[in-house]
Amino acid sequence: MKNKILTQLEKIKNRNRLGIMTHVVVGYPSLKQCRELILKMAEVGVDFIELQIPFSDPMADGPTIMKANKKALDNGVKVKDAFALMKDLSSKLEIPLIFMGYFNTIFNYGVKNFCKDANKAGCSALIFPDIPLEEEENENFIKFAKQNDLIPIRVLSPASTKERLQKNAQIAEGFVYFVGRKGTTGAKSGLDKKLDQNLKNLRKYFKIPIAVGFGISDKSHLKSLKNKADIAVIGSAVLDIYNNTSKGKALKAVEKFLKKL
Amino acid sequence: MKKIKNIFIKTQYDSDKQGHFNGLGGRYVPEMLIPALEELEKAYNQAKKDPQFSDDLMDLFNNYAGRPTPLYFAKNLTEKLKGAKIYIKNEGLNHTGAHKMNHSLGQALLAKRMGKKRLIAETGAGQHGLATATVAAKFGLKCTIFMGKVDYERQRPNVFWMEQLGAQVVPVLHGTQRLKDAVTATLQDWITNVDDSYYLLGSVLGPHPYPSMVRDFQTIVGLEVKNQLQEIYGIDKPDYIIACVGGGSNAIGIFNPFLDDAKIKLIGVEAGGKGIQKIGNHAARLQKNQKLGVVEGYKSYFIQDSDGQIQNTHSISAGLDYSGIGPQHGRLFQKDRVEYKYATDKEVIKAFKLLAKSEGIIPALESAHAVAYAIKLAPKLSKNKTVVINLSGRGDKDIFIVAEALKDKKWQDFLESKVKK
Repeated sequence: MKNKILTQLEKIKNRNRLGIMTHVVVGYPSLKQCRELILKMAEVGVDFIELQIPFSDPMADGPTIMKANKKALDNGVKVKDAFALMKDLSSKLEIPLIFMGYFNTIFNYGVKNFCKDANKAGCSALIFPDIPLEEEENENFIKFAKQNDLIPIRVLSPASTKERLQKNAQIAEGFVYFVGRKGTTGAKSGLDKKLDQNLKNLRKYFKIPIAVGFGISDKSHLKSLKNKADIAVIGSAVLDIYNNTSKGKALKAVEKFLKKL
Repeated sequence: MKKIKNIFIKTQYDSDKQGHFNGLGGRYVPEMLIPALEELEKAYNQAKKDPQFSDDLMDLFNNYAGRPTPLYFAKNLTEKLKGAKIYIKNEGLNHTGAHKMNHSLGQALLAKRMGKKRLIAETGAGQHGLATATVAAKFGLKCTIFMGKVDYERQRPNVFWMEQLGAQVVPVLHGTQRLKDAVTATLQDWITNVDDSYYLLGSVLGPHPYPSMVRDFQTIVGLEVKNQLQEIYGIDKPDYIIACVGGGSNAIGIFNPFLDDAKIKLIGVEAGGKGIQKIGNHAARLQKNQKLGVVEGYKSYFIQDSDGQIQNTHSISAGLDYSGIGPQHGRLFQKDRVEYKYATDKEVIKAFKLLAKSEGIIPALESAHAVAYAIKLAPKLSKNKTVVINLSGRGDKDIFIVAEALKDKKWQDFLESKVKK
């Protein structure tokens, strides 16, 4: 069977539109509400959803997602809950679901077993930013992911040098995740001035679709990405809306926000 | 004392080119930090080969920081314990009061060479932050220090001094609000301001090349001990060296020149806190159920739960209150080259009092961990044995904590009268 990521990428291409990827933290604000949020996102029509496995030290995340990680852990959420949620929803939803997180979670679980179980749970890809290519020899992360039909998404940034882009392009599959600005997630909104130039440069090395994240929060951002990138990642912005709306209305607010996009 | 010219030595326990200490260490960071680490590694390797860099650093060590620090024969303590001869390497006499000045000077010199305009650093006890703020002032660099809110509150005097030196001190409100969260916050700042900022890391941890680089700048401590023992005391080499281990910078600094001589016993002392039975009560990573993990850019032993979540630690000393340990220490533990012991808060306070009253030396609470273990060890050894304690810092900064631990009534009255004014 074809990986759902590839199927979804084809769909976006055929319809000539920008794909949308959203993000949740498993167990935030609670397991139940997180599940509702994912279902709502899928219903509105997003193309990919990242399920972040909460971690105590989420190095690449800004305040919004850090707080969500902490809250989820305070709620007692375990890695096994993330697997259960993945299994439950991947069988219900057509769109691909992705595990996002930090490498210690995988390392602690055992790289081989984690990949096996993630595949069994219906996960389509992995986004783990803190396991660079240089450590592959020790960890076999990419190897086991690919063996289990999980696409290890490469995450690159404006700081990446030509050598880094080349190196990553050689092994990248599915799409490449480009961090639109230097910084952590959701720290600042708005697109980086050099984004156009950076994306052009990225295209030179990557033949696969490009997803852009960090700082995307409204329709004008999406417009300016059209024809330059293939997927827009909206992470903290959705959580911010969810957090800033009174209980009961939060789901509706997210729906409204995503529909506008 | 014989002039030390070369501080860059090699041992069989060094990392490979990618910073792996037989699998530990490494560079587990997001892609956005890799170019910065590559740039740092390149600059550092060049600096190491440049005799001018070493000359400049030695000049700063000797004429700014006050090196060499004394190696002092603790006669009274030795007589009291009736065992091995005890020598104290008094790093507390460094400028700003601790060994942290050694790697701060080395790294500031490097930052300057790299053309960086701003220093950022994490701090636990505040000693590393203080040293960083000091070198930033000296080198005319901007400076931001991140400090977990718990530490920010309990080490107020250091916060005050850092601010006087011109640094901005940011209390870190996320996670456990301790050293590990300060490390994360500094990494995040670095991710954002990677072009003009230099991350002046305060221990032998984090992604490669930090564990090796910080060790190299601390090796001056061990090199001096070697010379001082021979020249002042006519002792060829020590039998035991004891140092406290948080991240492990002072310990690796004094151990490094002795690592290849297996006859010299090396002992690292972790923070036993309120006892090592329960997670959350201590910061002893190598005592029970040691668990490998990959956090904050490196692989080593971390205090974590079954899901790999990093857990809370406790120690009376903020500087040892850290859930991870430098990767080379992890390696030295695996190879049994260094023995890792622990001391509890209670033992530490006892050691603090004994050293103060018998030798007139007020140790930092971190360093008092090493003293506490020496008190246990020395009486069991014969009188011709030599024990060296690395007294990594002086205790001035701990005045509030010690006074509270000792329940000193007069101090309490003083504080109250100050508040009333």
